[in-house]
Amino acid sequence: MKKQILFGLFGLLLLQSAFAAGTHYEMRVDGLACPFCAYGIEKNLKAIEGTANINVDLDKGLVSVDIGEGKALTEEQMKKLFDDSGFTYRSMIKKPLE
Amino acid sequence: MTGGNRMGFYGLGAALLVLLISRPIFAHDPIFGLGPHVLFKNGFEVAAEVGSEKAGSEKEQALALEVTYGLTGDWALGVDLPYAFKEEASESSSGKGDVAVFTKYRFWRKDSLGLQESAAVLLKVITDTADTNKTPALDKGATDTILGLTYGYEGRKWYRWASARYRFNGTNDAGVNRGDKILIDFVGGIRPTPTGYLEPDTVWLLELNGEYGERAELNGVELSNTGGTEWFLSPGIFWTRRNFAIKAGVQIPIYHNLNGNQEESDYRAKVAFEWHL
Repeated sequence: MKKQILFGLFGLLLLQSAFAAGTHYEMRVDGLACPFCAYGIEKNLKAIEGTANINVDLDKGLVSVDIGEGKALTEEQMKKLFDDSGFTYRSMIKKPLE
Repeated sequence: MTGGNRMGFYGLGAALLVLLISRPIFAHDPIFGLGPHVLFKNGFEVAAEVGSEKAGSEKEQALALEVTYGLTGDWALGVDLPYAFKEEASESSSGKGDVAVFTKYRFWRKDSLGLQESAAVLLKVITDTADTNKTPALDKGATDTILGLTYGYEGRKWYRWASARYRFNGTNDAGVNRGDKILIDFVGGIRPTPTGYLEPDTVWLLELNGEYGERAELNGVELSNTGGTEWFLSPGIFWTRRNFAIKAGVQIPIYHNLNGNQEESDYRAKVAFEWHL
C-alpha cells in the first residue's frame, strides 16, 4: 500500500514537472458571444494530446491552454481548429510554463 | 364528407402537428423561428423536444428526438424522430410521426470581438412515414420539403434574427394538393447579464412569427376551409450551462385571417433539452 502511494506521488510530481516545462498559449479569437457555443473549442482542444487548463474569456475574446513539454501548437493548426469550431482565429502569444 | 375528403381533411390536420416540430433545433437559435447556428466539426447535438398546440377543439402534442452531426464548422446534418399524440373532439390517437432529415449550411460568417453575424440556408425533407390508419390521422399522406434562409446577429448582450421559409407541401394520398406555406420570423433577444464560459447563462427572446398558407385543392377545385394567415408573438428563454441547454417558448396568436370556417390557433408551446457532445 505504501509503495502504491509513493508511486502515485512520484507520478504526480512527474506530471507537474512535465507541465512545468510546457507552454502556455493565449489565443485571440473573434465571434465568441455565447458560452454554450464555445463548448466546441474546449472539445477540439482537449482532443490534442497533452493539453490542460483550457479557459475561455468571452469578453476579451481570449482562449488559453497549457500544453506539456515537447508539444507545440501551430498557427495553422489553431486557424483550422477555431474554424472547425465555428469561430475566427486571430493571433496567439505563448510563454513557457514556470 | 366522403372517405377521400375525410382523409384529405385529416391529412391537413396532421400537417399542423408537423409544424410544431418542423424546425431543427440548434443551440442559440430562436425557439420557433430559424437561425443560422450550426455545430462544431465532428460534434453531435442530441435534443429532446416536447411540443403542444391547441386550436379550438383540436389538441396536439408531439415528442421528438433530434440528432445532429457537424460535418464541418459550417455544415450540419440531422434527423428528427417524432412521436405524436392527437385529440380531436372526443377521439384521440397516438403513434410514430413523420421522420424528417435536414441539412443546414452557414454560407456567410463575420466575426469580431464578442460578436458573430452569420447567414445560413436550410433544406428539410419531412417524409411520409407516420403511423397510418389512426383517427384522428397522424400521417399527412405526402412528403414535404422546406427551404429556409436566415440571418443572425449574436452579441454578448443583444441578439437579432430574421428568417424566411417556404414549405412545399406534397399532394396527399387522397389527391389533395395541400397548398404551400410561407413562414416569416423576426426575433430579438437579450442576455441581461453577460456571463463567463462555465457559468449558467440566460437569454430572453421575443419572436414575431408569421404564417401564410395557400388554399388546398382537390381535383383543381379550391377547398374553402383551408389556407390563410396567422401571426404570433412568442416570448421564450434559453438557459445553458457548458454543453447543456434548455429552451422554452410559447406562441400567442395576435392576428388570424383564415379562409372559411377553420379553428384558429389558441396557443403553441415548446420545450427542448439539448446536449452538445
